[in-house]
Amino acid sequence: MALLLDSSIRMWVVLPIVFITFFVGVIRHYVTQLLHSDKKIDLEQVSDSQVLLRSRILRENGKYIPRQSFAMRKHYFNNAETGFFKKVKRKVIPKNPMTDHSMLTDMMKGNLTNVLPMIVIGGWINWAFSGFVITKVPFPLTLRFKPMLQRGIDLLTLDASWVSSASWYFLNVFGLRSMYSLILGQDNAADQSRLMQEQMTGAAVAMPPDPNKAFKSEWEALEIVDHKWALENVEEELMSRDLNFGTFFSQDRTCTMF
Amino acid sequence: MASVSEMYDVGWEEMRDKLRKWREDNFRNSEQIVDVGEELISEHGSKLGDDIWIIYEQVMIAALDCSRDDLALTCLQELRKQFPDSHRVKRLSGMRLEALERYDEANKHYDAILQEDPTNTAARKRKISILKAQGKSTEAIRELNEYLEQFVGDQEAWHELSELYINEHDYGKAAFCLEELMMTNPHNHLYCEQYAEVKYTQGGLENLELSRKYFAQALRLNNRNMRALFGLYMLAGRGTKENKCSVKAVEEMLESMQITMS
Repeated sequence: MALLLDSSIRMWVVLPIVFITFFVGVIRHYVTQLLHSDKKIDLEQVSDSQVLLRSRILRENGKYIPRQSFAMRKHYFNNAETGFFKKVKRKVIPKNPMTDHSMLTDMMKGNLTNVLPMIVIGGWINWAFSGFVITKVPFPLTLRFKPMLQRGIDLLTLDASWVSSASWYFLNVFGLRSMYSLILGQDNAADQSRLMQEQMTGAAVAMPPDPNKAFKSEWEALEIVDHKWALENVEEELMSRDLNFGTFFSQDRTCTMF
Repeated sequence: MASVSEMYDVGWEEMRDKLRKWREDNFRNSEQIVDVGEELISEHGSKLGDDIWIIYEQVMIAALDCSRDDLALTCLQELRKQFPDSHRVKRLSGMRLEALERYDEANKHYDAILQEDPTNTAARKRKISILKAQGKSTEAIRELNEYLEQFVGDQEAWHELSELYINEHDYGKAAFCLEELMMTNPHNHLYCEQYAEVKYTQGGLENLELSRKYFAQALRLNNRNMRALFGLYMLAGRGTKENKCSVKAVEEMLESMQITMS
């Protein structure tokens, strides 16, 4: 079904929504940075996360160390009585969001800076730019999407691919993520999808709320791993190839700073 | 004395980029850094913008290496003015005290940092290096072990521990540390080669066989590693059960020696 839309829609609706979304995102980024408070890191959590990392590396790269060393480490972790994963039980305090003050403020700040503007601006756009369709999505949609994407337009025969301004706004919110990383650099606070994946990387990785469970799953994973030494035939492999010294040594290598 | 920019005919942007490259690749060419950095700071300081703070840090550490206390003090004062409460700057002032051999004061500095932030790894590592500088290697080893019990993933620390153990001739434990490093960096030929050397020094038939395998692995990862080639040659020439490796190793050794001489 072909509809011809007024070109002033493009100028006065599509582009303004893009700009509004973009600038609100940038402002959100700077506001979040201003309100940002340093997270207090627990020594034990850091230590535990690194131990888990070491155990994982042992599983993956254990084939590069001799068999006995691998056995020694596996024993250290998994031994029935003295193994690390068996012996160490961490006291788990379930973090109740209501009583834990820092988590409460963090949650509130997150809500304030991310969800609130989205709702406010979404509502305003819905009110200001209502009653007409903006654009057509390139793929066909079923009729069930109509009430969601075509608010305020009560045409039964209109194709569900034609969407209103609110849906264009939401499309922008998720689509401009890559623009933000281009302009604001990686790791910016305007990136809303990070709300959905609460992750911190680096030296201070926040432990999953139950380290005991993590230990148990790591123990199981380590139990089933077998040591297949990668260096079994390394000498034959080395001898079968040429060492290729031809281009390596040259006379005119000057060492300067620049 | 001609300035760096005159000698090499480079502009300030190139000097800044060179410093960045040295910083990212973790070079320790302190004299060069001091030369380039000093000129960059004094002549082109205003053009650098916010980069200048990290350049101050880099130049300060290089100045401490070259015994340029005046330069180190200027950099430190600038940093202190800009970042008054920073742990990173406190660590730098601790390092300056270390360079002046005022170890007790430096220790107090680091203890103060650790009281505020128990997870600060940099301060703990500096305390261990104070012990090493004072020659108390057994205590340094003990402290480093404790540190590693908590921060198992710190590769710099594992490497330092392996060096300390080698100095104490405790090759078994040094081998353990190097194994940790090999596991986390399986494609680094230098760790394989160091491990093979430690095993060779330990001696004993099993260790020698292991050593030969790791020399071969180091060569497989990087053809040019001469030490590994030499190690392989030394082991192959010992006439163990598998003689087929030895002849080829000798031939390769001769070939490489011919090339280096021509």
